[in-house]
Amino acid sequence: MIVGIAQFQQTMWAVNTATGVFVLLLLVVRKSYRVYPAFTFYIVVNLAQAVLLFVIYRQWGFSSTAAWLFAFGTQTVAIGARGLAVAEICRHLLSCYPGIWGLAKRILLICAGLVLLYSGFAGRHQWKLAVPSADRGLELSIATVIVVLFLFVRYYDVRTERTDRWLATGFCLYSCFGVLNDTFADRYLYGYAELWSLLGMLAFFGSLFLWSWALRKPLTVTVTKENLLPLHVYQSLTPEINLRLRGLNEQLCRLWKPEVTRH
Amino acid sequence: MNFNVILFFGFVGILLLALGWTLRRPQTHRRPQTEADSLEECGQRHITYLPQVRQAFAKSDYEFLSKNVPPDVLRRVRRERRHVAVAYLTALREDFQNLLRMARVIAVLSPELDAIREFERLRLTAKFAWQYEVIRWRLLAGVAPVPQLNGLSDLVSRLSVRMEAAMKELGERAAIAAELASSMNRRGLDVG
Repeated sequence: MIVGIAQFQQTMWAVNTATGVFVLLLLVVRKSYRVYPAFTFYIVVNLAQAVLLFVIYRQWGFSSTAAWLFAFGTQTVAIGARGLAVAEICRHLLSCYPGIWGLAKRILLICAGLVLLYSGFAGRHQWKLAVPSADRGLELSIATVIVVLFLFVRYYDVRTERTDRWLATGFCLYSCFGVLNDTFADRYLYGYAELWSLLGMLAFFGSLFLWSWALRKPLTVTVTKENLLPLHVYQSLTPEINLRLRGLNEQLCRLWKPEVTRH
Repeated sequence: MNFNVILFFGFVGILLLALGWTLRRPQTHRRPQTEADSLEECGQRHITYLPQVRQAFAKSDYEFLSKNVPPDVLRRVRRERRHVAVAYLTALREDFQNLLRMARVIAVLSPELDAIREFERLRLTAKFAWQYEVIRWRLLAGVAPVPQLNGLSDLVSRLSVRMEAAMKELGERAAIAAELASSMNRRGLDVG
């Protein structure tokens, strides 16, 4: 069973590396790296990590402490790069709208911080689990940030690029899977490491597939400079709208109450 | 299963549901930039029928009917009145949503947003949606009173009046933008 997993893992390593190279080629050939420099950096970091880990595992073995430390060290860099790539996508999606972007930035940062705290409190407090717990916290933050970003996009009904949506979805799904995988690793650390690594690879392959799908067509860079309204329009109308909404809610409350005359 | 596992799986489940919901294409997806025409009539379509609807809900009418028609006809009238109430409530919500969409357009086109005001609107919208659904279901189930809709309509109507100023301003700016774009195009053609 373990041998079978190990073989499959090696196959997946090769497949993921090849798909990663394909995504990088797409970025270069379509010149999308100009639009997504942080995402390109993330793909490069991942490829470098895969190559380095391959060398390290061959040298010191999969279960050695040195390999484990090196793997989590490079994983920290990879997650950092992923954070940058997600921030880049957030900016792509909302920066055309300065008001919403200003608000979204604050909300997203607060959400990320709260989720990190939640993750820290909810996890098991053991030193040997510190790294997977931190990894899970970051993954959960990334997933939350993307979902909240999409909620903003939906709520304000803003125009978004298909590529941005697919890239963000890929990140979100990968992070969600990472959380589940880390949670299982946290619970069944011993004897789950092989499977944990393999499932992580499968999830990453899924995301790479989504990203290559998103980048398959050349990007049409549409720089849309919105014609902004003067600030006083917002400042004068919004309180009035909110007042009316509050009044309307009160009216609905009255409709709800049983003392209203029944016909 | 461990409590932590449930906690994290639950969180991820909620995230995935929210992701699916946000990525789902809305049934009536309209771009804020292209709906300037429909916004002109925003909040006014259904309120114009308010006098007729009020007449239909008049207590005196009901009392007159209860004295002069058989019980089965009265029941039918009552049922149909409820249907009218539900339809009118739905129509008002539609008008209200148009106004909300307008508010969102203003937010999208504003250089700065006030977080407190935005959250307040979000909270009020959620509250309205919840109350609306409760009233609608109670009306459909026949356990709610035929609503006093005039107050409701008044609010929507007053809001639409206030929004006209913003619409006018939006229209003017759109006209300026169009003129600017066409002049830039002309300039481009001249250069070419």
